[in-house]
Amino acid sequence: MTNRPLPVPDETSAPYWAACAEHVLKLPRCSSCGEFTLPPDVTCPHCQSPEPDFTFEPVSGRGKVRTWTVIRHSFLSGFEVPFLLVDVELDDQPHIRMVGRLVDGPETPLRIGDRVAVAFEDLSSDIAVPAFTLAGAS
Amino acid sequence: MSGLFAAHNRIAVVGYAHSDVVRRTAEPLGITALRTARAAIEDAGLTPEQIDGFTSSSLLPSSGEHEAQDGISVVTSDWLAKHLGGHAHYVAGFQGIGQLTGSLSLAISTLASGAADYVLLHRALHNPAGKYNDNPMTEFAGDQQWSAPQGFFGALPAIAMVCNEYCQRYGADRESLADLVVEARKNGARLPWSYWHDKPLTREAYLAEPPINDPMSRLDCDIPVQGVGVFILTTAERARDLPNKPVYISGQGFGYPLHHRIPLHWTLDEMMEAGEGLARRLWESSGLGPGDIDTAQVYDAFSPFVYIWLEVLGFCPVGEAHRFVRDGGIDSDIPESLGALSGGGAIGNGRLHGLPQLLECYLQLSGRAGERQRPTTNAVMSYSAPHFGGAVVLTNDPV
Repeated sequence: MTNRPLPVPDETSAPYWAACAEHVLKLPRCSSCGEFTLPPDVTCPHCQSPEPDFTFEPVSGRGKVRTWTVIRHSFLSGFEVPFLLVDVELDDQPHIRMVGRLVDGPETPLRIGDRVAVAFEDLSSDIAVPAFTLAGAS
Repeated sequence: MSGLFAAHNRIAVVGYAHSDVVRRTAEPLGITALRTARAAIEDAGLTPEQIDGFTSSSLLPSSGEHEAQDGISVVTSDWLAKHLGGHAHYVAGFQGIGQLTGSLSLAISTLASGAADYVLLHRALHNPAGKYNDNPMTEFAGDQQWSAPQGFFGALPAIAMVCNEYCQRYGADRESLADLVVEARKNGARLPWSYWHDKPLTREAYLAEPPINDPMSRLDCDIPVQGVGVFILTTAERARDLPNKPVYISGQGFGYPLHHRIPLHWTLDEMMEAGEGLARRLWESSGLGPGDIDTAQVYDAFSPFVYIWLEVLGFCPVGEAHRFVRDGGIDSDIPESLGALSGGGAIGNGRLHGLPQLLECYLQLSGRAGERQRPTTNAVMSYSAPHFGGAVVLTNDPV
């Protein structure tokens, strides 16, 4: 389906990738303080709990574009250039930022604050990675 | 820590040497480092037997698949101490991203604590054969599973996004970036040892270069090179008996990430927020402020870092650095400017991880800058980005 590099799910990430495969964004949430974290860490970065027991819970996946770049040379193999990466601040919690490709294409005009929603790119039969698409005003 | 630095002006740089900066060489990096180390020791009026402390950081900063071999592609202090044949009492490597300021701090602490009397600080950078950053991996486990599958990989995409956010927010553009890249290359072209010696860059050539990660082009990034810089440090008391004019360490400040993020996701806000604390600690520890500084050698591995450091350190208001640069605020040919890239920086020398910044501060303060000499009493150098790096104030007039 693609030559793009694939993530290797592990015990810290398996629920995330399983949800992505179903085109659902679930982020790790600390069992102690309830804050979302990306990526999960051995402790909770918010409350420092050494036993965060992260659960993966669905989030809106909506947010605003903080910044972007058009990648015209990719250091990784398997990507067709150019493509556009957006740095998105999710609505779900302050400071939660994700970086993903904008599936609308590399020539898409953008402004800081533009609204986007999560989208998914299917890389194999069981792996999809999060990306974003313009969501208009919402 | 708050208030004046406990080692304020008690530790001095007393000698230096650097290699020529070349794109690639068959010479093992360790040999370049040994030769440079011996030259620095001699420059300081010392012998290898007197060097009893070694500090450095050895990271090869490439995202390609290159195996680090000590003495060949990296040089640790352990390797250098062993091969120099001295009598080491203390050898330490800095582990982290703010490598040069981090290992300089180790040198300062080593001397201030009395763990060693004469410390050799070095940084050695290698340019491996093959592609520097290109990586053929088809699977990513561990931390990079959270970033690489989206095409977010290596340092440049994040820095390009920081640069774009700065440009969008404050009205800078590639014309603005041209001002500082051309300034760096102008100064680098004047340095006989620089990779860019006699190769200044015109504004037209800069603007004609296509971006690789918008808005940044190759010319906004330092070029990978092989090069070594060595500094000899000792206590202020011992420095009095040595031949060169001592350059004292007045203070230092460091910054660290404030938010847990996916790998290499550096953001403009985080740099500025972490930079506030860094600058506060830097100025408190040195007993000086930005108004006391004659030259600020700010880190420029990526062109937008210059804006960020000028603003973080208080040399111009936030959002104004691109106009400050445009209006001659760092032009080395204007005597009253900050001359922020007068030593060529990374863009005007090559990928030397802060060595050009520390070297230029040392040369100006010790009166050894030759034709580039500017009246200088207090200087500041910075390395990396404020949320992962550090800054150091140096002086030749200890109060």
